[in-house]
Amino acid sequence: MRAVVFDGVVLGLQFGLLGVGLTLVYGLGGVLNLAQGQFAVLGAIVVALRIDAGSAVVPAVLTGLVVAGSVGLALDLTLMRPVYRRTGEDRVLLGLLLMLGVAFIIDGVLVWRYPIEALTLRIGGEPVDVLGVRMRTGSLLASAIALGVGAILVLFLRYAATGKAVRSVIQDEEGAQLCGVSPEKVRAFVFALSGVLAALVAVTRSMTSPVTVNAGIDFTILALIVAVVGGLGSVSGAFLAGILLGIVNTVSAHYIGTYVTTIVLLGAAAITIVLRPSGLLGAGRE
Amino acid sequence: MLEVAELSAGYLGQDVVHQVSFAVDEGEAVAVIGSNGAGKTTLFRAVCGLLRPSRGSVRLDGRPITRRRAHDIARRGLAYVPAERHLFPEMTVAENLDLGAFPHRPRGERQALVLELFPRLAERRGQRAGTLSGGEQQMVAVGRALMSEPRLLLLDEPTTGLAPTVAAAAYEALTVLRGQGLTIVVAEQQVPLALGFADRGYVLESGRIQLGGDAAELEDNPDVQLAYLGIT
Amino acid sequence: MIRRAATVGRVGTPAVRAYAPVVVACGLVALLPLRYGDSRPMMGVVIGGVLFACYAVGFNVIFGSTGQLFLCTGALAGLGGYASAILSDRHGLPLMLAMLLATLVAATAGGLLSWIAVSRSLGVIFTGIVTLAFALAFQNLLLGQRDLTGGETGLVVEAGSDTLLGEQVAPFYVFVALLAGYLALFRALQRSHIGWAFRALRDDEIAAELAGVDVKRYRVLAGTLGSGMIGLAGALYAHSEGFISPSTFSFGEVDVLVIVMLAFGGIGSLLGPVVGAAAFTVLEEWMDSFNEYRLIIYGSVILVLFLVLPRGVVPTVQGLVERLRRRAGRPAAPVAPSPVDTLNPG
Repeated sequence: MRAVVFDGVVLGLQFGLLGVGLTLVYGLGGVLNLAQGQFAVLGAIVVALRIDAGSAVVPAVLTGLVVAGSVGLALDLTLMRPVYRRTGEDRVLLGLLLMLGVAFIIDGVLVWRYPIEALTLRIGGEPVDVLGVRMRTGSLLASAIALGVGAILVLFLRYAATGKAVRSVIQDEEGAQLCGVSPEKVRAFVFALSGVLAALVAVTRSMTSPVTVNAGIDFTILALIVAVVGGLGSVSGAFLAGILLGIVNTVSAHYIGTYVTTIVLLGAAAITIVLRPSGLLGAGRE
Repeated sequence: MLEVAELSAGYLGQDVVHQVSFAVDEGEAVAVIGSNGAGKTTLFRAVCGLLRPSRGSVRLDGRPITRRRAHDIARRGLAYVPAERHLFPEMTVAENLDLGAFPHRPRGERQALVLELFPRLAERRGQRAGTLSGGEQQMVAVGRALMSEPRLLLLDEPTTGLAPTVAAAAYEALTVLRGQGLTIVVAEQQVPLALGFADRGYVLESGRIQLGGDAAELEDNPDVQLAYLGIT
Repeated sequence: MIRRAATVGRVGTPAVRAYAPVVVACGLVALLPLRYGDSRPMMGVVIGGVLFACYAVGFNVIFGSTGQLFLCTGALAGLGGYASAILSDRHGLPLMLAMLLATLVAATAGGLLSWIAVSRSLGVIFTGIVTLAFALAFQNLLLGQRDLTGGETGLVVEAGSDTLLGEQVAPFYVFVALLAGYLALFRALQRSHIGWAFRALRDDEIAAELAGVDVKRYRVLAGTLGSGMIGLAGALYAHSEGFISPSTFSFGEVDVLVIVMLAFGGIGSLLGPVVGAAAFTVLEEWMDSFNEYRLIIYGSVILVLFLVLPRGVVPTVQGLVERLRRRAGRPAAPVAPSPVDTLNPG
């Protein structure tokens, strides 16, 4: 049982990182990035292609991250302009639909050009004993990365000037403008960042299981569930929800079955929305 | 320092403010008075960049800022304190103040100066802004605006919802700031306070400037007395 | 802000003129078997087109009329299809009764979702997420409950194969009749006080509430009705096709197409579903050889549509016609507003 829970934590940390990008983008501007999963897969495929072409792992990973981030940035600077010009529910609806279209396009292009491509990062080394449970080095590395990046992110948002600027836009956009913070620049930055984070999760996932070219939808749905349960706009909420749901995922999959597990996770999101829409940690709190 | 010429602005295609013109010189304290719905907030929002004017122009130190975005204008030395304050509720008083200095690093001395002006806030530095009382929030809002060392301060109805003693204290603080050389424009419904504080004033009614002149003149003006001071 | 009033709902527009489009459109569609009646595969395609038009009308009632973003059209159809198949094949219920019950199941599910959304004042995003969660959960349910649903391999539906529905061309006419009924119902709604309430609450919810419109009730009504329509179409399809599987009713197979069809045709318009379904059935057929590009094309269509032509074909054409009429000195033709109006920068 302990092994299952540990696996759940490993998974959960990565879930959290995946949800963070989505929750930040939504908190900043009401845009639900339904292409989050596709950003992740895009990053993974780029890394895989670079490795196939003979590159070393670390530069390949960096390339993948940069590509994913750049696509995010490009999208924000182009497609999102008409979206941000609208307000309220108009903006939400248009943003959602446009990102859905983008998701299809990225998915379609990747599946069409690289139908059999997948990313698998083999991390060598003997399994390590952690609190009585044998953990693969891949899992440990993935957890360490997710935890490390997550910690940096939380600290950045809490203490760095730009990080505070990000939080200020989430908490009160007009107030932020009056302080000299440009919401457009903050949004562009965060959109790019969410692309990088998504790609990073794909890379860490690939350390324990292959990330295929059609994994996009699954990633998006996971990110969505985590972000909703954690509270749209809350980074620490996304991590908390990620860990909780990661554990639920592995425990349920181990003892019950995969189909039920998915239903349980979806149910968690639905119940959160119905009972406590602000999620576990509400919006704006870091 | 601030020149507003034939400015018109509004919402959803309908102008609320019509061809308003006024000017503010450096070091002056100017009051814009008018009742609810006169268009004071719309005017200020158009001046500080939160609202796009439909016509007219705004110049700061001779340079046009008419269609610039609010954050751009804020960085040019024009600080606006909106009626709704727009504080960051989950951040502490200190964090709110520091953000006022964005993009510059908040200087400890600056914050100390602001807190000197509002001693009540010093005790509450670490408190979440969302949990403060109305008067304290107003102080944070003004303090935050001051953190950027602005040359021009615009305040929209700073005494809304404040008890009379607190409102008076607010204007005392403004007088101190004025004495330090800050140019201040304040929109007010509470006319006696505003005219008592300012050098000059404008009366805004139905989106147009109806009167303008020295504060003392306005106070003596019979129409003003009737409409705003309840004196017949 | 001045919005064009929906004069189509005005008392006085003669019924003949109001329902004429329904008759004309369905009449034209009904001619198709003359060309394709001999080919079973082509009839399958054509029936699919009419089926999706029916789905789209149901979705139009839910989203077009009251702005509720239901991302579970496929699941609602699947509820209808699977329920009807299971009730008739496994439990021996007569076909009509099974389909009726299946329709009620779908209607109840949709009504429940609407009710949850209005009780908790869920906005577009949360309604979308909750309905999407429902759709995905339903999909997993179908896959997981092998004994009941046949799981991934699907379910052969025997009931109905000995009736009209089992033939090659006859089911088509059944579907056309269903579509005609749905369109007539949509038009009747538009012309009734219910339609007026729908327009009011879409325009300005608070104003509508203050005017005495019980927004909750009308939203739930739209959700229930639209879902029932979708469910019935799904049930009918199950029996006419003779085979259903989870992928028949998945998000990718149904919802995406329905949204794109309706967006293209015109959300909130009467004939939008028909125009959209026609256009995309043709596109799907033509794309059969370009299967790899399918997603890319749909993604691009969505982007272009919502950026450039958010009102869709039918209202845009109506707008053009109205401008021509005005120039010719004739009175303006009625144009109904839609929730996508707000997506227009104008």
